[in-house]
Order: sequence, then C-alpha cells, then structure tokens
Amino acid sequence: MIRVVIADDERLVRLGLRAILDAEPDLTVVGEASTGAEVVSVVRELRPDVVLMDVRMPEVDGIRATGQLMATLDPAPRVLVVTTFENDDYVYEALRAGAAGFLLKRATAEEMVQAVRLVAHGDSLLFPNALRQLVAGRRVPATTAPPRTDRLTEREGQVLRLMTTGLNNGEIAERLVVSPETVKTHVGSVLAKLGARDRTQAVITAYESGFVQPG
Amino acid sequence: MSALIGRSAALRWVHLVLGGALLMPYWLLGLVLLSSFSTDASTAQTVLLQFAALGLAVPMAAVTALVPVVRVLESTAARALGVGGAAELATVPSQSWAARRRTAVWYVQHLVLGGIVSGLSLAVPPAVVVLLLFPTEELIGRWLGPDRPPAALVALGLAVLPVLANAAAGAWLARTAPALLGPTPAERLAAAERRAVELAQRNRLARELHDSVGHALSAVGIQAAAAGRVLASNPEFVAAALLAIEQTARTAVTELDTVLGLLREDEPAAPGSGPTLAELDTLLRQLELAGVPVTATLDPGLAGLPGEVSRAAYRIVQEGLTNVLRHAGRVAAALRIELSSGTLELELSNPVGADRPSRPGGGRGLRGMAERAAVLRGECHAGPTGDGRWRLAARLPIEGEQS
Repeated sequence: MIRVVIADDERLVRLGLRAILDAEPDLTVVGEASTGAEVVSVVRELRPDVVLMDVRMPEVDGIRATGQLMATLDPAPRVLVVTTFENDDYVYEALRAGAAGFLLKRATAEEMVQAVRLVAHGDSLLFPNALRQLVAGRRVPATTAPPRTDRLTEREGQVLRLMTTGLNNGEIAERLVVSPETVKTHVGSVLAKLGARDRTQAVITAYESGFVQPG
Repeated sequence: MSALIGRSAALRWVHLVLGGALLMPYWLLGLVLLSSFSTDASTAQTVLLQFAALGLAVPMAAVTALVPVVRVLESTAARALGVGGAAELATVPSQSWAARRRTAVWYVQHLVLGGIVSGLSLAVPPAVVVLLLFPTEELIGRWLGPDRPPAALVALGLAVLPVLANAAAGAWLARTAPALLGPTPAERLAAAERRAVELAQRNRLARELHDSVGHALSAVGIQAAAAGRVLASNPEFVAAALLAIEQTARTAVTELDTVLGLLREDEPAAPGSGPTLAELDTLLRQLELAGVPVTATLDPGLAGLPGEVSRAAYRIVQEGLTNVLRHAGRVAAALRIELSSGTLELELSNPVGADRPSRPGGGRGLRGMAERAAVLRGECHAGPTGDGRWRLAARLPIEGEQS
C-alpha cells in the first residue's frame, strides 16, 4: 500500500485528489495539509511514501517545504510537485530542491494515479519529455567547478544517457545487454558520483552540465 | 547585377529622381535670387550661375529638413523604395536636435545625389540617340579632338554613365540610411523603456489570469476527474463535486471579467472608457450569484460624479469584491459609498475567511487599487480591523464639485 499526503491550499483540489487516489486499491491518502509549514509537521508525524505538493502555497511555499523535508527526514518521502502550468520557474526550483517529479493539475485521473505509483517505485523517470523541455528553457547556472559527470565511467555515462530518455532499469538492461542487477549497480554509482538523490536529480545534473543536450 | 539594373536598381533610381525633383524648387529659387546680380549673358557666366544656384540650394534644403516631420517622410520614402531596412529607420518625427541635424545631412545628400542622377538620366539618352543617328557630326570632333574613338563606342560609354552613377549613389544612400535616418540612442532607450512597460503590464495580466482562472479551471478539472472516478461508489462526493464545480466556474467568470477589464483598460486606443458606478447593480448581482451577497449603502448623488472618478470607484469596488471572493470565499460583504465635501468615501468590509488562506502575491490587486486612487490624488488602503473583519477604504477627491 502506497501512503500519500496531499498539500494544497485549495480545498477543492485536495478533495478531488483524495477522491481520485483513494479509489485505487493500492493507494491511500493518510493526511492533508493546506500550507507549506503544515505539510512538514504532517509528514514528520505520518511518514508517507509520497507527498503531492502544490508549489504555490501561503507562508512556506512548496519549494521550501520540499527542501525542509529532504533535509530533515531520512528516508525522505518522494515529493511529487503539483502545478497548474508546466513552464513554471517554481517547478524547476522544486525539482532542484529534491522533488522527484512534477504533475500537471490538468492531467487525467489515470495519469495522476500512474505518476504516484511510478514516483513511489522510483526506478524510472516521470514524464521525461516534459522534464527535458523544462530544463531546455533555462539558463544553466555558471559554475567554475568541473562537471561532476567527468567522474563517470564510460558504462555509467551510457546508463545516465538512457536514464534521461525515461527508460527504467529493466529497459536499460535490455539495451545494454546486461542483467538488471548490473544496471541497478550502475545507477547507484551514477547517483553517488553526481551526488543525486534520485533519477530526476541525476537527469537534471546531466542536462545542466551539458553532458546531455536538452534541446 | 541587380545593383546595376533590375528591380532593386529601378526602385533606387525612383528614389534618386524623387530627390532630384525635390531639389528643383530650391535650385530655381537660387537662380531667381542670383540672376538679379547677373549682368552679362555669356555662356561661362550662365554655367557659373547654375552652380552658384546649386550651392545656394544646399543650405536652404538643409534648413527645411530641420522640420521634425521631414524624417518621417524621408524614412518612409527610403523604406518603400528599398534604400533602408524597415527595422532600422525611425518612424516618428525627430525629437531632438541631434535627430534633426542627421535628417538634414541625409536630406541634402539625397537631393544632391538625386540631382546628379536625374540630370544624367535626362541628358544622356538624347545624346546617345544623336551620336548613333549622326555619327559623323562634327560635334564629337569638337569635344574629343581629331583622334576620336568610333561614335558607337562613345555612345555606349555615355549610356553606361547614368547606370553606374545610379548604382553608386543608391549604394551610398543605403549605407548611410541607418546612421542618418535611424533612431538616436536616446530614442532607442525610450523605445526599450516603452517595451519594458508593456511587457510588465502583460506579465501582470498573465499572473492575474494564472491566479484567478488558471486556479479555478484546474480545481474544476480535478473535481470533475474525481467525480468521474467515483461515480458509482461515492454518489455523495459526486453531488458535492458538481456543486463545487458550478460555484467555482461562476467565481472564475467574475474574476475573468475583472482581468479582462484591466486588459481593455491597458489599450491606449480607448481612453476614458470602461464601466462606471452606474453599472454597479450588475456587478453586485453577479457577485451574489457567485456567493457573495453585498449589502450596499449608496449615496443618491453618485450618478452626477465625473466619469473618471466614477470609473475608478467602480474598478476599486470590483477588485475589492473579487478579492473577497478569492480570499474570504462565500461570505457577506458590506459596501458603503458616500459623497461629502467634494470627496468620495468608499468602504468595503467582509469577515476574514477561515478556511481559505490567501495565496502568495495576493497584494497585487491592492497595489492596483492604490495606483488607481493615486492617479486621482486620492488614497486607498486595506487591512484587518481586529474584530475578524477585513476593511478596504478609499477616498477620491471630486474635481468637478470644487471648480
């Protein structure tokens, strides 16, 4: 059973999301929050697997709340950012703060349910094309440090490239003709070398360092 | 090759002939002025007189080009006849002496080069015809001496002359057009500032739409999706969702109306338009439908207000009520508008909503209202009153009553 907390300042959105997710046999909504400050304490108490996080909330917004969850909880829950518009600077900031993916409010009920499952499972990337477009529209922050992607082996680089296209571990294993276990090991060392919390963070780093061109 | 003959060269030739035609009145005026000093009608003096008149025409042309609108005329001609790119030439009259001086330089060179090309265009074809028809005419001998080249060759050389002159003059004008007819640095800066203001207005409207209609539509979408998902299993939720969808849609239409009102106001083409307090009834009915009943206490003299005060007051009430809907939800509001000693006093109050915390950035509407009041040298502020209510107060001076 995947345990979910919903954070949104609109009561109607919370009610709707709860009805959609609770109708699934494998999902259960265990709590709600209407501000960013509230969500931190609710999550600390209920320890859900996934948090649906509205980016724009009063007091503490979704970005800061995501950052606080990542910094103070171990293991931290997967955060799925919920947004009205995809070209939203806040979404990008939330992803950089540690959110595992983002979900549009106009997505179908089926897409929402799948997104929660996928993020909870964590072995493939949510909406790879949308993520690519989001990163492509940004200026890469200038940095003097050499890109951390330099430390990857050739094989790990191949795995990272396939990760950016949205393939899961099993599909990557098929492409590279290796066992899924080997891919899992490679993904683990890619995440470790890039200092990434999950696939989404690793893919953002890959785009931002120019290791993979988002265009 | 198209620089020598072809469409582009033909257009530039028209541009130069236009310059030549513009030169004529100055030149004729110069001739009239100078001929009063001339006593002798010898050929040498006639030629001298012509050139002196041309010399006099140049400063006269330069002076008339200082008239600001000349830049628009010359820019338009240059653009239309392929001498300058559309983007790089100014489209407004000169606004500084720097721009006027540049236009004057342009005008003088357009007229002088135009005069030369026009003159060649007029003189050369007859000369070529004469040469070809009467190749043995002693005329050529007189000009070129006894060892003259064949007449056909001379005719060809002569015919090429205006073509080359046209190409060279056209190229020179095209090269100097951006510097002489283009906007000055100050004008570029002003244009950039105007664009920045327009962009800021567009961004503000985009945010307004995002906050009002975007939020409402996504809430409606999620509610409908959820209702469809639990249609059979949870009919109670479906009924509640339908009600919520209906109310949210009504609210969104009201908010959309406000934003579109702002949009229409930003159009410079329609100054002094927009709803006035006379349309307050419609607004209040609309709000009541969206769930905010308003108890209004209105001064009987509102109909006699000057248009701008009435419009500003309407917008303040409209934005204030939209904020009530947005931040406090479905609550009753009280509106009071009074006229006393040349001032309009407006007060709107409502209980602060408990379950609807305000969205971040909710203060933009307040700033808009304050700006609106400030334009009329009035003021507008809002805040909680301490007894669980929110109060918006505005004071607008009524110019018409004082004078």
